[in-house]
Amino acid sequence: MPIEVYRIDDRLVHGQVVVGWGQPLALGFIVLVDDQVAESAWEQDLYRMGVPPEMAVHFESVAGALSRLPAYRLLPDPGLLLAGSTAAMRALVEGDPDIRHVNVGGLHHRAGRSPRLRFVFLDAAEEADLRAMRARGVEVSAQDVPGAVPVPLDDLLTRSGG
Amino acid sequence: MMEPGTLLMLTALGAIVGLDFVSFPQAMLSRPLVAATLAGAVCGNTAAGLLAGVLLECFALETMPFGASRYPEWGPASVAAGAVAAVPGADLDTTARMLPFAVLAALAGSMIGGQTLVWLRQFNLSVAARYRDELAAGDASAVRSVQWTGLVIDFGRAGAVTAIFVLALVPAREALLGGLNAVSGPLSLAVAGVLAVGVGGSAVWKVVRSVKGYRWYLAAGLAAGSAAAVLL
Amino acid sequence: MTAAPTLPVGTWLRVFVRLFAVQGSYNYETMIGNGIAFAAEPAFRLLPGGRDGAAYHAAMARHSRYFNAHPYLAALAVGALVRAELDGEAVERVERFRTACCGPLGAAGDRLVWAGWLPFCSALALLAYGLGASAAGVLVTFVGTYNVAHVALRAWGLRAGYREGLKVAVALGSPVLRTGPLHVARALAVVAGAALPLVLLRVRAAHPMSIGVELGLAALLAMALARWQARTDGWRVGVVLLLLFFIYSVVR
Repeated sequence: MPIEVYRIDDRLVHGQVVVGWGQPLALGFIVLVDDQVAESAWEQDLYRMGVPPEMAVHFESVAGALSRLPAYRLLPDPGLLLAGSTAAMRALVEGDPDIRHVNVGGLHHRAGRSPRLRFVFLDAAEEADLRAMRARGVEVSAQDVPGAVPVPLDDLLTRSGG
Repeated sequence: MMEPGTLLMLTALGAIVGLDFVSFPQAMLSRPLVAATLAGAVCGNTAAGLLAGVLLECFALETMPFGASRYPEWGPASVAAGAVAAVPGADLDTTARMLPFAVLAALAGSMIGGQTLVWLRQFNLSVAARYRDELAAGDASAVRSVQWTGLVIDFGRAGAVTAIFVLALVPAREALLGGLNAVSGPLSLAVAGVLAVGVGGSAVWKVVRSVKGYRWYLAAGLAAGSAAAVLL
Repeated sequence: MTAAPTLPVGTWLRVFVRLFAVQGSYNYETMIGNGIAFAAEPAFRLLPGGRDGAAYHAAMARHSRYFNAHPYLAALAVGALVRAELDGEAVERVERFRTACCGPLGAAGDRLVWAGWLPFCSALALLAYGLGASAAGVLVTFVGTYNVAHVALRAWGLRAGYREGLKVAVALGSPVLRTGPLHVARALAVVAGAALPLVLLRVRAAHPMSIGVELGLAALLAMALARWQARTDGWRVGVVLLLLFFIYSVVR
């Protein structure tokens, strides 16, 4: 089965991912890509507890994900890839031509970021990352849960919080 | 027309259930089953409020409040629906004919209520922004002010939304009471009931479908329910 | 881990009561951050220097920043953060913990409460209605059953969070949170399976005409909505159909 969703979300594993997307897509696994979490056992313990026992979670660095993505795509259940930052997703897109869609699921308030949607705040570097992904032909849109209307990148970058 | 005392009590009820939804204490008093039934009781027709509450609860099974995504606010809208359904001195047939309108009004009202929550959150943000320096310095009184302002404004918001809904919908009900004679009570109940139970059924399916063997659990429930229906 | 310092009963109670208002200033920037600081504040008064101390102000500033979690399981975070502050954990570790625990606490709470216990209690109350319970009986069934677990979950969360501190993953591994949602979902399937037909039966009780046809139609609608679930929410379809009926009933 393919990886159904490639999602950027700074909360990584949370309810919108596990229940909001997990239930309708009947997700069997999550690939969590974050260099820091990939090296931190206690954080992995924490994230693992947010995922239902019947759903597998694989922790990967960006480099690890790039080498193992083809294998994950061969797993029998549908999966979701989660990256905590635009930079990590950009690196994945640049290293793996099979990523065609990127879902901006949640980047929250932090100093230096400007509001774009209620669940998307971006700084200049993050905007550049998203544009670079689109320049490679990847469809980038913001959408928190499956029932919401996706907001295309061009539209997203002209918004100011609404 | 509605007595001012009744309107006041409905407004207070709406404020309490509206506050309960997100801010305090999230005891699910805001669910349609509770809010509409209590509103029916306030208006002197608990059975009609309960009927509206049950139908709306089936619809509400589908909208779970996940994270920061947008979702309908059932409390004030359900209070208004309970009040609309509880026609003073009405027989069951009149209540039945009024139910599709009450349910429809509550569904629309829940979306409007949800939008007012978005405004509340934007307002809360503006309050927090006013105290930004104090919050950054760890000033406890700023934290308290931000918190209490949010709670008080939410209470007022929910009360105002409820009062507006009731004031708009009860006169609309009066205007409709004569005009809905063309449709029978049984047909109105059948349509509202089938839609509510259908939507509720699909909502439950979505939640349980990831459980192994869920069809057997649903079937066991159906069998038990059917047996109860025959025996009772 | 060293034993947790004992908190005075009054402090426990103040923190516990405030937890019910943790979402009181919810906004799109800091989410429930201010609520976390508001709830934990009575315990921060025990930091060195009390309310006038630098540690107290630093903790208040840290914890009023962005935070998001399921509101009930925020109790677990508040317990853990209070313990971390009172233990004098390194600031960087506390910050890292705040970031890491938002998502898992949200996911665990959403699974157990919003997608589990709430629909279960709702279905249980609908079953009570379908079996002929009075309005008071239906309300007591729903509000009572729901809140026994709601209050218990907040109380457990606060205590477990405080006991485990930053090792709160241990508490999140509790069978209630791990396998609880599965059992609740099974119970939901059984109870809702029984409740929904009985609800239709009682709604129509005064006019027992063609209940078989109506049950069939409701089942068909449920299956159709389930099939279209990726494309639309069922309740939106319900609204449209109800609106069409209402227009028909007015213009006929």
